[in-house]
Amino acid sequence: MRLKDQVAIVTGGSRGIGRGIVKAFAAEGAKVAFIYKGNQAAADSLVAEVAQAGGIAKAFQCDVTNFDDAEKVVEAIEKDLGLVNILLNNAGVIRDGLFVGMKLEEWNTVIQTNLGGVFNFCHAVAMKLARQRKGRIINISSVAADNSNPGQTNYAASKGAVNSFTRALAVELAGRGVTVNAIAPGFIETDMTENVRNKAGDLIKKMIPMKRLGQAEDIAKVAVFLASADSGYITGQIIKVDGGLSLGAVAM
Amino acid sequence: MPTQAEIFKKVSATLVEALNVDHEEIQPTSTLQGDLGAESIDFLDIVFRLEREFGIKIPRNELFPESIFQGDPEFVLNGKVTEKGLKELREKMPFADIGKFERNPDMTAISDLFTVDMIAKYIEGKLGSKA
Repeated sequence: MRLKDQVAIVTGGSRGIGRGIVKAFAAEGAKVAFIYKGNQAAADSLVAEVAQAGGIAKAFQCDVTNFDDAEKVVEAIEKDLGLVNILLNNAGVIRDGLFVGMKLEEWNTVIQTNLGGVFNFCHAVAMKLARQRKGRIINISSVAADNSNPGQTNYAASKGAVNSFTRALAVELAGRGVTVNAIAPGFIETDMTENVRNKAGDLIKKMIPMKRLGQAEDIAKVAVFLASADSGYITGQIIKVDGGLSLGAVAM
Repeated sequence: MPTQAEIFKKVSATLVEALNVDHEEIQPTSTLQGDLGAESIDFLDIVFRLEREFGIKIPRNELFPESIFQGDPEFVLNGKVTEKGLKELREKMPFADIGKFERNPDMTAISDLFTVDMIAKYIEGKLGSKA
């Protein structure tokens, strides 16, 4: 077990990639506190699923865009499970639409969740990790930060900012033994990509050199590595996990 | 009100925690960066810990002014702190012992002002302690 007795926080944990990460962390022996915004049924089923598999996962409701609430929920988690060792920021939303028609609210929601949520939880946890002189922060970014798709100015901007934030924070915390990295997933089969998948159909698979969509587990395995002692000398890196999508190859 | 000795003891304990150093390494004249290896994040950690330890508020940039001269050529000229700059330093950091620095006011040596004793004196001033 690579994460035995480590306390991990996973935001956006009840569904999609986050759910896969919660299960993988728990399977590696971590005590996982996951944050969900509103889907109580999904949260409850995940807690039960992890318990069934012999792991520990607890659900905490919190809106990641709220600075004070993030701090409070981290305190509550530490009271319950002990000092936090790993923070994985996964909570993210999309509000796709061509820029000229984008509403301010659509811009703000995406920036405040995808970037603001990362700020809020890192702020609540960073000094705690620095004081322990070890720790892991992992942010879930996206290949959309570098590979532009129409209709994603807000999403691409938020993820590009997460990448820059990751590198900058890595430099500040490196001296204290805390690593900060990001994973940039390509097309992963989750609720978030359902619309795009329905619209584009098989075209997406043609764009991916590996000819298949990613699964939450593909991301979770890399997250486990980055959370574990095995990745101790890696910091400030953005690791693309996309089946080769970002290589920009033209299908033959 | 704690005595100077009590304050120094508490400050030392705080630095042991914040900088992960041994008690023996901490002398009144030890410089935080040069002798005790403090990095920028450590200065914030020290401030947070002192606030909690002594139940005081330490306004940002009061104990460890980051950019005391803000690139003003009246204060710093050719890498040396000017007479006016030294006056500013005495006013902003009355708790620092700038005697040695005054003799060779090279900007690269300014971090040597941040000593264990300087923190203790600052706290004494805040609490109004007597020997």
